[in-house]
Amino acid sequence: MKKLGMIMASILLAGSLLAGCGSTAPAPAPSGGNSAASGVSADVKAIKDRGVLKVGVKVDVPKFGYKDPKTSKIDGFEIDLAKAMAKKIVGDPTKIELSAVTAKTRGPLLDSGDVDMDVSTFTITEERKKSYNFSDPYYTDGVGLLVKKAAGYKSLKDLNGKKVGVAQSSTSKKAVEEEAAKVGAKVTFQEFATYPEIKAALDSGRVDAFSVDRSILYGYLDDSTVVLPDKFSPQDYGIATKKSNEGLAKLVNDTVNELKKSGEIDKLIQKWGLK
Amino acid sequence: MNGPFAWFKWQALFHDWRIFAEGFGNTLLVAVLGLLLALALGVFFGVLGTTQQKSFRGLNRVYVEFIQNTPLVIQVFFLYNGFPHLGIMLPVLSVGILGVGIYHGAYIAEVVRAGIQSIHRGQMEAALSQGFSFWAAMRYVILPQAGRVVLPPLTNQAVSLIKNTSVLAMIAGGDLMYHADSWSADNIYYGPAYVTVGLLYLALCFPLAQLARHLERKSEVSV
Repeated sequence: MKKLGMIMASILLAGSLLAGCGSTAPAPAPSGGNSAASGVSADVKAIKDRGVLKVGVKVDVPKFGYKDPKTSKIDGFEIDLAKAMAKKIVGDPTKIELSAVTAKTRGPLLDSGDVDMDVSTFTITEERKKSYNFSDPYYTDGVGLLVKKAAGYKSLKDLNGKKVGVAQSSTSKKAVEEEAAKVGAKVTFQEFATYPEIKAALDSGRVDAFSVDRSILYGYLDDSTVVLPDKFSPQDYGIATKKSNEGLAKLVNDTVNELKKSGEIDKLIQKWGLK
Repeated sequence: MNGPFAWFKWQALFHDWRIFAEGFGNTLLVAVLGLLLALALGVFFGVLGTTQQKSFRGLNRVYVEFIQNTPLVIQVFFLYNGFPHLGIMLPVLSVGILGVGIYHGAYIAEVVRAGIQSIHRGQMEAALSQGFSFWAAMRYVILPQAGRVVLPPLTNQAVSLIKNTSVLAMIAGGDLMYHADSWSADNIYYGPAYVTVGLLYLALCFPLAQLARHLERKSEVSV
């Protein structure tokens, strides 16, 4: 009898867990619609009222979002972009709260509302658009390969039968897979949570190549490694926002397009020496 | 409907169930072999910890303290990325088996040592006086009695070991957690992925935890 009770209790527990999960889907709050008075949607107003914009950024990608270990300051192209967003939304580029995100954490952080948006080398894909709103692209990069000089690889073709290290939640895997098929090479993949882990695996010989967007790769280039000339599968970076925050998504998208038109984005790209 | 647990995300998961099955298989493999290694190491070093020789006891202390006081994550990372620099390239599943095996071996050594010490020393003295060697007395007199005492805590160690195999996710180990990370990383359908994987770990660990409770109750009666 006691045993039966135990089993019942655990089934109930599991059941309530699942039910709880189901109910976390956002209720159709009136966030999408404009509130009549100001023409500002509820989700944008919430940020304005808070007075600070919370942005998820990378801290391990030099020139995009990088935390300098000496000064502890986070800097980069995407940080400047985030500041421009803060200027637009809360009216002050310094009213910004940066959170370090990884490819793995940026999605959940949007869903939970811990960050309002991700400006984190976030590649736009059709599949991802189902889960998040993306702005139009603000930067386009290509996937590349970092290998050890000593290995003597000249191009992707030489990597036939080798292991390629990629980051979880990155689109590099698919890109390399397709490109490798084109040149008639077959590679396998090892996925890691962060870029430094992939670099460690490259150094120790666990993987033969480190593949991610080229702009990110250049941050890991050192004396013993070289970036192969291959550049494939253009990656469009967009600013991601929570699916239900449609007012915010529109404002972000409009701002990106304004910055593009005014040449502001090109100026930032020049400033950070990209391309 | 959208959100982390949207139905279409569940459907995608059911469609790709083979990926999770493969991870489940690897987790099971690493857990079983890791447990065997942990038991072997644990019994050996546990017995060393109860001997009269100081050097043997010292060996036990070094192993237990060193392993118990460093994080499993670092030990595994060292096996994975450190050893290759010394010219030793272990396959990733072996890294997992060695990692959790050595780690839990240290805990099991303490469990075994405590178990042996809970047996009255008159038992050992009697066995020795009857002409048993120390190791024979251990084998035929002490360990069978200690076995009953240590079974519940041992089962708890097995449960921890299963959960700790998830450290393999960090080193692209192909276990259940790795495949959950990898699968949900591509499409960001992390909601169903982690709930499912959590339930799978529960399905592995819960029966063992129950067994531990059952053994505990039984040993209470017998004492």
